[in-house]
Amino acid sequence: MNAATAPWLIVALREVETKLKDKAFVLSTLGTLALIIGAVAVNGFLGGKSADYSVAAADPLSYQVLTEAQDQRPENMNLAISQLNPEQARAQLASQDIDAMLSSSADQRTMTLTGFDEVDAPLERVVSAAMRTVLTDQLLSARGLDASALPTADDLHTAQLQGDSERGSMIRAMAFIFSFLFYMAALIFGMPIANSVIEEKQNRVVEILASTVSLRQLLAGKIIGNVILAMVQLLLFLGVGLLAAYLAPGEIPFLGVVSTVAGWFVVFFLGGFLLLAGIWAALGALATRTEDLQQSSGPVIGALVAVMFIGIYAKGGFLVLASYIPIVSSVAMPIRMLSGNVALWEPLLSLAVLLAACWAVLLFSERIYRRAVMHTGGALTLRKALKLEL
Amino acid sequence: MLEVHNVSRSFAERLVLDDVNFTVPRGALTGFVGANGAGKTTTMRIIMGLLQASSGAVSLDGKPLESGTRPHFGYMPEERGLYPKQPIIDQLVYLGQLHSLSRSDARRRAMELLARFGLDDRAKSKLESLSLGNQQRVQVAAALLHEPAVLILDEPFSGLDPLAVDAMSSILRDYASRGVPVLFSSHQLDLLDVLVDHLVIIQDGRILANASAETLRSSQATRHKLSLGADAGWLREEPGVEVIDISGSRALVNFQTESDSQRVLREALSLGTVTEFAIHRPALADIYREIIK
Repeated sequence: MNAATAPWLIVALREVETKLKDKAFVLSTLGTLALIIGAVAVNGFLGGKSADYSVAAADPLSYQVLTEAQDQRPENMNLAISQLNPEQARAQLASQDIDAMLSSSADQRTMTLTGFDEVDAPLERVVSAAMRTVLTDQLLSARGLDASALPTADDLHTAQLQGDSERGSMIRAMAFIFSFLFYMAALIFGMPIANSVIEEKQNRVVEILASTVSLRQLLAGKIIGNVILAMVQLLLFLGVGLLAAYLAPGEIPFLGVVSTVAGWFVVFFLGGFLLLAGIWAALGALATRTEDLQQSSGPVIGALVAVMFIGIYAKGGFLVLASYIPIVSSVAMPIRMLSGNVALWEPLLSLAVLLAACWAVLLFSERIYRRAVMHTGGALTLRKALKLEL
Repeated sequence: MLEVHNVSRSFAERLVLDDVNFTVPRGALTGFVGANGAGKTTTMRIIMGLLQASSGAVSLDGKPLESGTRPHFGYMPEERGLYPKQPIIDQLVYLGQLHSLSRSDARRRAMELLARFGLDDRAKSKLESLSLGNQQRVQVAAALLHEPAVLILDEPFSGLDPLAVDAMSSILRDYASRGVPVLFSSHQLDLLDVLVDHLVIIQDGRILANASAETLRSSQATRHKLSLGADAGWLREEPGVEVIDISGSRALVNFQTESDSQRVLREALSLGTVTEFAIHRPALADIYREIIK
C-alpha cells in the first residue's frame, strides 16, 4: 500500500479487516458453509444412495436372470454377477465374498435368492422382476410369441396441463434460499454500517476523521467495505452450494437454470444491498446511541421480513409487480426467472429501476449523513436533520 | 501564522460567533479561554473545516484555507474521539493511513509516540482498558501522528492528573518551539500563567483580547502590593493613591506617579516595618477576570 491510497479505500479495507478479525463472523460463515455442503450432500445421498451387490448364479438359468437383472437395475445400484457351481457359491457366500447366490429349482419354475443373514429388499425386487421377465419370455417363445411385441409400461407418455411440479418445487426451494440469503445479508452486513456510523458519532471519532477526509469518502468507504463483505460471502455460499450440487452423487435437476439465475441474483442482490446500505447509514447518522437504532431500525427490519415472505410466498400478478419494486425486486425477479418464461428485457428494466432508486437513496443518505453525523445532542428526525446547516 | 478573519457563525438565527478576529503565531503557545458556551469549540471546528463560517475566513501564512478537510492539521476534539473497543495501535495506524502515511510509516510513527508517552507496552490493549490520563495521551498521539503543521486542541488538559499535565505541557511546548502554531482551549486558568505565550479571550462570541501574554501583563502592571508591620488603613487617606484592596496589613494600590510611590514608601518606613513593597504582576487568570467583567 502506498501513500497515495484513496481514503475511501483505506476506510473500506478497514471495514473488511475489522470484520474478518471478528471471530463470531468468521465462525458463523464457516458454519453456514458447512451447513450448505451438508445439506447438498444429504440431499444427494438420499436421492442417489448407491448400493453395490455381488451375486453369484449357481446354474445357467440363474445366470440368465442375473444378466437381465443387470439390465433392469436402477441407476443407483451396482450389480456384479458371476457364475459358479453351487458348492463354490455357497462357500463364497459363507465367507461373505458375495452378497447373495441365486439358484433355480429342478423344474426351473421357481428360484431361491440366498443371502448370508439377510437379502436386501432392493436386490430382491430387481431379481424378482428379472426372473419374471426371463420366465415369461421363455413361456412366450415356447408358444411362438415375441416378447418385445408386448405392450410395455414405456408406452405410457405423461404430460401436464399446467406447469411442471418438479420445476415448481425447485422454484419454491430456490425462492426460499434467495429470500433468506438476502434477508440475512441485509441484516448481517447492513446493521454494522449503522452501528459503525453511530460508534464514530458517539465517540466523536468522526470529528477527527472528518477533519482528515471528506465525509463523502468516509461514507463511501464504509458502504463499499460492507458491500465487498456481503458480496464475497454471498458468492462463497452460492458458489460452494452449486459446486457441491455438481459434485454430489445422483443428479440434481435444473442445475443449469439455477446457475444462470444465481448469476442474476448476484447482480440484483448488489443493487438491493447498496440501497439498503444507504438507508442503514442514514439511520445510524440520525441516532445518538446504539439504543436509538433499535427503535428506528424497526420499519427497515419489518420491510426486510416482508421482502422475505413476498419472495417465499408471492405468486402470479403480485410476484410480477414485486419484481419491479426496488429491494423486493432483488429476490422477486430472480425467482420469476427460475420459471424460464421471463423475457430478457424484464430483468434489465427491473435492474434499471433498482439502480435509479439506489442512486437517489444514496444521494439522499449522504445529505442526511453529512448533516446529522456532526450533530451532538439527542437523536434526530429526518425532517430536523435536513434542516441542519453544514 | 494562523489567522482568523472576521468569522461569524449563527445556528438557527442565533449568532454564536460575532466577527471573530485573532492570530495564532508560530513559535508560541496560544491559549484560548472563555466561559462555557462562549464559542471556543465552534471557533475550533471552523478552523478545522468541520463547520462552515457564515462569513469570514481562516488563513495560514496569508493563504486562505479552503472549506473542507485539513489533513495536515492535528486536532483533538473536546469530547475525545477514538474507538474505545479497538486496540490502540490499530486505530493509530488507521488514522495515520488516512493522513496519507503508508501503513509501515504509520505503525513506526505510532510506536515512537507511544514509546514517548510510556505506552509502547500497551500498544495492543483496547483503548477503554487504559486509565483516563493514558487515553488522553493516546488521543494526543493521534493528533501528532502525521507531524501536523498546525495543532488545534480543545481542552487538552481536562481530566489530567498533575504529572500528565506536565507531560502534556512539555509536548505542546516542544511543538510550539518547532514553529508549529499551537492553539489550545482551557478552563484551567492557573495553567495559563506558566504555559501560554499568547492569549485569546472570547466571550459571547466576541473576542475581548488577542495579545501576547507579556503585553497583557504589562498593560495591567501599574499596581503595587504592600505588606506592612501594622494596619494599612491609613493608605486610604494618602493623596495620589488609589486603593484597590486592603486587608489588614496588606494592600493593593495604584500610585498616580512614581514620586507618589516613593513618598508613600518613606511614610510607611517611618511608621513601622515594611516587609514587601513590589510591583504587582497580575496572573493571566486575574487579567482574564478583569477583562470579562
